[in-house]
Amino acid sequence: MQNKRINLEVQPGEPVGMVAAQSLGEPGTQMVLGTFHFAGIASYAAIATSGLPRIIELLDAKKAPSSPLMRIMLKESYAKSFPKAEETAKRISEIRLKDIMRRIVENFAKGRILVLLNQQSMQIAELTPGQVSAKLAKQLGVEARVGEHGNVILHTHTKNLKEVRTIAVKAAKTLINGIEGVGRATVSQDEKTGEFYIDAMGNGVDAVLEVEGVDPARVYTNDAFAAYRVFGVEAARNVLVSEVAKTLRDQDITVSDRHITLVADAMTASGSIKSIGRHGLVGSKESVFAKAAFEETVKHLINAAAFGQSDYMRGVTENILIGKQIPLGTGVVKLTIKNTHEPTRGKKEKD
Amino acid sequence: MTLQAEVIKEIKFGVFSEEQIKRMSVAKLTVPDTYNEDGYPIDGGLLDQRLGVVDPGLVCKTCGGRAKVCPGHFGHVEMVRPVVHAEFAKIIYMVLQATCQKCHRILLNDEQLTIFKKETGKELESDEPIQENGDAGDKHVEQAMLRKLKGVKKCPHCGTVQEKLKFSMPTYFYLGERRLKPDELKDMLIKVSDSDLAVLGIDPRVSRPESFILTTLLVPPVTTRPSITLETGERSEDDLTHKLVDIMRINQRLEQNINAGAPQIIIDDLWELLQYHITTYFNNETAGIPPARHRSGRALKTLAQRLKGKEGRFRYNLSGKRVNYSARTVISVEPAIDIDEVGVPRAIAEVMTVPFYVTEWNFEAAKALLDRKEYPMVLNVIAPDGKRKRVLEANKEELAKEVRPGYVLERQLQNGDMALFNRQPSLHRISIMAHRVRVLPGKTFRIAYPATFPYNADFDGDEMNLHIPQTLESQAEARHLMEVQYQIFSPRDGIVIMANGEDSIIAFFMLTQEGTRLSKEDASYLLSTAQIRGLPKQERDGTYSGRAIFSMLLPEDLTLEYGTGDKRVSIRKGQLIEGTIDKKAYGGGASNRLFATIAMQYGFDVLREFMAKSSRLSYAYATMIGISLGVKEYLGTESTLKSKEDTLAATHKRVAELIKQYKDKKLEPLLGLTLRQSLEQMIVVELDMARSRAIQELNKRVPKDNITMLMANSGARANVLNMEQMSMFLGQQTARDGSRVRRGYYSRRVIPHLKAGDSNADAHGFIESGFVDGLAPVELMMHAIAGRGSIMQKGLVTQRSGYLQRRLANALQDYYVASDKSVRDVGNNMVQTIYGGDGIDPTRVQMAKLEKEE
Repeated sequence: MQNKRINLEVQPGEPVGMVAAQSLGEPGTQMVLGTFHFAGIASYAAIATSGLPRIIELLDAKKAPSSPLMRIMLKESYAKSFPKAEETAKRISEIRLKDIMRRIVENFAKGRILVLLNQQSMQIAELTPGQVSAKLAKQLGVEARVGEHGNVILHTHTKNLKEVRTIAVKAAKTLINGIEGVGRATVSQDEKTGEFYIDAMGNGVDAVLEVEGVDPARVYTNDAFAAYRVFGVEAARNVLVSEVAKTLRDQDITVSDRHITLVADAMTASGSIKSIGRHGLVGSKESVFAKAAFEETVKHLINAAAFGQSDYMRGVTENILIGKQIPLGTGVVKLTIKNTHEPTRGKKEKD
Repeated sequence: MTLQAEVIKEIKFGVFSEEQIKRMSVAKLTVPDTYNEDGYPIDGGLLDQRLGVVDPGLVCKTCGGRAKVCPGHFGHVEMVRPVVHAEFAKIIYMVLQATCQKCHRILLNDEQLTIFKKETGKELESDEPIQENGDAGDKHVEQAMLRKLKGVKKCPHCGTVQEKLKFSMPTYFYLGERRLKPDELKDMLIKVSDSDLAVLGIDPRVSRPESFILTTLLVPPVTTRPSITLETGERSEDDLTHKLVDIMRINQRLEQNINAGAPQIIIDDLWELLQYHITTYFNNETAGIPPARHRSGRALKTLAQRLKGKEGRFRYNLSGKRVNYSARTVISVEPAIDIDEVGVPRAIAEVMTVPFYVTEWNFEAAKALLDRKEYPMVLNVIAPDGKRKRVLEANKEELAKEVRPGYVLERQLQNGDMALFNRQPSLHRISIMAHRVRVLPGKTFRIAYPATFPYNADFDGDEMNLHIPQTLESQAEARHLMEVQYQIFSPRDGIVIMANGEDSIIAFFMLTQEGTRLSKEDASYLLSTAQIRGLPKQERDGTYSGRAIFSMLLPEDLTLEYGTGDKRVSIRKGQLIEGTIDKKAYGGGASNRLFATIAMQYGFDVLREFMAKSSRLSYAYATMIGISLGVKEYLGTESTLKSKEDTLAATHKRVAELIKQYKDKKLEPLLGLTLRQSLEQMIVVELDMARSRAIQELNKRVPKDNITMLMANSGARANVLNMEQMSMFLGQQTARDGSRVRRGYYSRRVIPHLKAGDSNADAHGFIESGFVDGLAPVELMMHAIAGRGSIMQKGLVTQRSGYLQRRLANALQDYYVASDKSVRDVGNNMVQTIYGGDGIDPTRVQMAKLEKEE
């Protein structure tokens, strides 16, 4: 029974796009909507969007994902020591004045603002009142100094009530340390390599790359658009693939990687990220009919008429509309009749 | 295959000009009415007989055809005042913004023009189409340019300073403060030159912007808007006809008023009303204006509504086709048929037909078939000219004489014919598979159990559709590409999707246990069900081992070994030497290496044959040993009841402890959570653990010969959790987001029978009763809350994922594997150089993996 082995290769004409679409769409009904089944694990994964909403978010190519996360690997010397990793994490997570203060007291009569710092959170963040005061002075453009009991006093040099209040409000929001938009950053250890790395919420990949200790070649974000902006389309494509794969894996749904990569490749083949939908891949189709049959029928027909566009009837939808065989699968094969045939042979052939 | 004499290569869109409308119109309509008192269509009215006929008996005055023959002809209405076609208003605005208000040239200087033309390749040359490919890059340049045009203050050609042009939805234009009436708009648009339009992306040969302002209205033929006669004899007109009557009526009134020299205000009002009717005639959902309504208050369905959406022309009639040669009925199981068969009720087989193409070589067979007087007989004869004649006793002899090669006989369905079988929703391609027909008594379609999986079918009343391919080409494609045995491996992950389950699994599990021995009679009987002759090697005591019997099903030289320890399965030279055949080995999923190996080494037909034989043998063995269970299995023994009590008590104790710690402020908060959230989180973990502890206890205490355990261990059905929930306790019920049931009556308790603010297990849906005991009232309530949640969830998920599926399909349907294994779309744009990076068929990925391991 040798050599009965079947061919494992794809056959030309195979409508792999449709197969990929079905492979991702069909298990959709088995997915859950909410964020759970992580009962007990208090980690970022537990609060991240998952399941069907996450898949939709990824394929929609949303500019701002609902739970951006970064995994930041560190340079060798930092990756091996917990304190050094911790130190790097502190440089990354955003700290605003309001996070480290107890209260702001405005003295309108003297045009002064007293910032009462929270000693405990100052200690955790490893900041000194001097640093805070310097930062405030620089950011707000006011005079600042460290007062008694380690509090910071701002001199606004104005007695205008409104201006003082404006400065006070601004002061509370001032970024003291870390990267804007990056939430808590925590250090974890890789079980296999023993390497320390940082998980951070929020998005600021470009800024993270500059942070001392960070290995810029190994910074991961789950935001395809951020990856596109900072690293380019290929990176964005990889993010799409790994995020879709991860989301499906979390739901115990097995989908071959080839389907996921095909979707991601189709989305990014143009050089930018195109969504799966009317504004993306479908919207940029050449065929008027294909667009009209999907969504916004009237709009597409009117535009085609007004601009005098043509439909060349090359795609699947167009050919179905006019009742022709589709140009995929067994429909890709075209026959031509060779004129040199002997007439007798031609007669015997079927069709 | 039917040869196509003519192929549509291109469909070009455009806008009819006034002249074109008049040229194609067969009648100028002047009377805003339909029928006269005698019930006869009025000449010059909206149902003028020159526009075609829909009533049987009447003849079209243009082409002489009767209803159904005459395709209908267009007419036209001349409007006294021009009106804007609201759907084109945005494009009118674009054109006006891009051109000078005085000299009407494009607001680009000559230098910019040359650059622009060079970059977009837009130039009106000879007869070449303007936009061969509306490339994305071009659009970019175009849009950037047009955006710039908006800001141009002074015309580079005549130096006129441009006034502010305002557009207000749906049809109003203002130049400065002054409203531009449609006639003024038209005058401006006429003056824009063809070459300037080409720069704007408009092909002036098929679309001139002045055509966007209507002076003549094309009236569709009556066949487009047929009137229906109700039983009472009352006539009811189509919505479009209603709308056209409105338009013509106002048009007439406007004309009368203008001729009578009525004041400008009245004329403007009527003009405005005409504009309204025209706008709603095209689209009755135009933003900013109220929809025109029927007397009953129902909004009229006008042109745009006919095309749009799920029930519109495109999705309902053009993308979705209706077919003949199909049947639908309820499905049920049939263990005696193969997976690639479908049981078809005799009643259906007698009505559905398969074409029999008469040639000189099968002429005698055709005659004989035509001669038959009972069941597999010919129902219709189709002459080469396409005329179809019903075969009756009366004309049978006559037809027999007439039939020659080239005729087609429509023969009743019989065993072995190819049929496509489908269950909706058709979520993936294996929702439609080709089966061989098996005509059976009864009224339901019958399928084998393993074939339910791709269809996601069960037998609680599901219905399925059957289609009979009507050409030899389609029958061959069905047989070689779509037949069930080729779909055993799912294209989603290349894993076995069609396999036996339940009784089949448990039967093999028992049969292939170490030490299972069968008498000669039993062994012979079992093998006979699989149509296997002969017996395996006898054991020393004259019996036959279960594994040896199973081995008789395997291909002779099959060798397959995997797993370690007591999970090891070892098949050598077609003999199962070691290991039990359970769900992992024989059921669906990635763990089934047996199927992949057989398919890879011997082909799909051998695999199908193996499945058929093994199924029958397993059913016979399951029947022989008899497996049944009763409530007794779940009642629980003293030992399990004790462990239930202990587990629950321990859990309660720990929860109480946590609550105490929280109240004493001694609880350590979890990372990123408040104290309250942390408490909740810890309780949830604790309660979750209660169930897993109970499962462990059950595993320890339930006897191994317990049938439920046997089923769970073999993978046939159920798991220990099911058993735990029946005989011990249900455990935690979750609300919509996976948290404990929390909201409900007032804010801090679920139902009024509980204490407000109680954090204890039972107050938030922890159920201590099992299904055998029955639930307490509060528990039942909690269970119902969770149940309702999951029903809502289901509804929501199907909706969302259905739309995702549609979007994915539309976005990716044009991609295919080209002859060089690259993935391209129909426009030949490549997205992958080699499909999937390895060029492996998705249904064969598991096989490819196994091959690598070898």
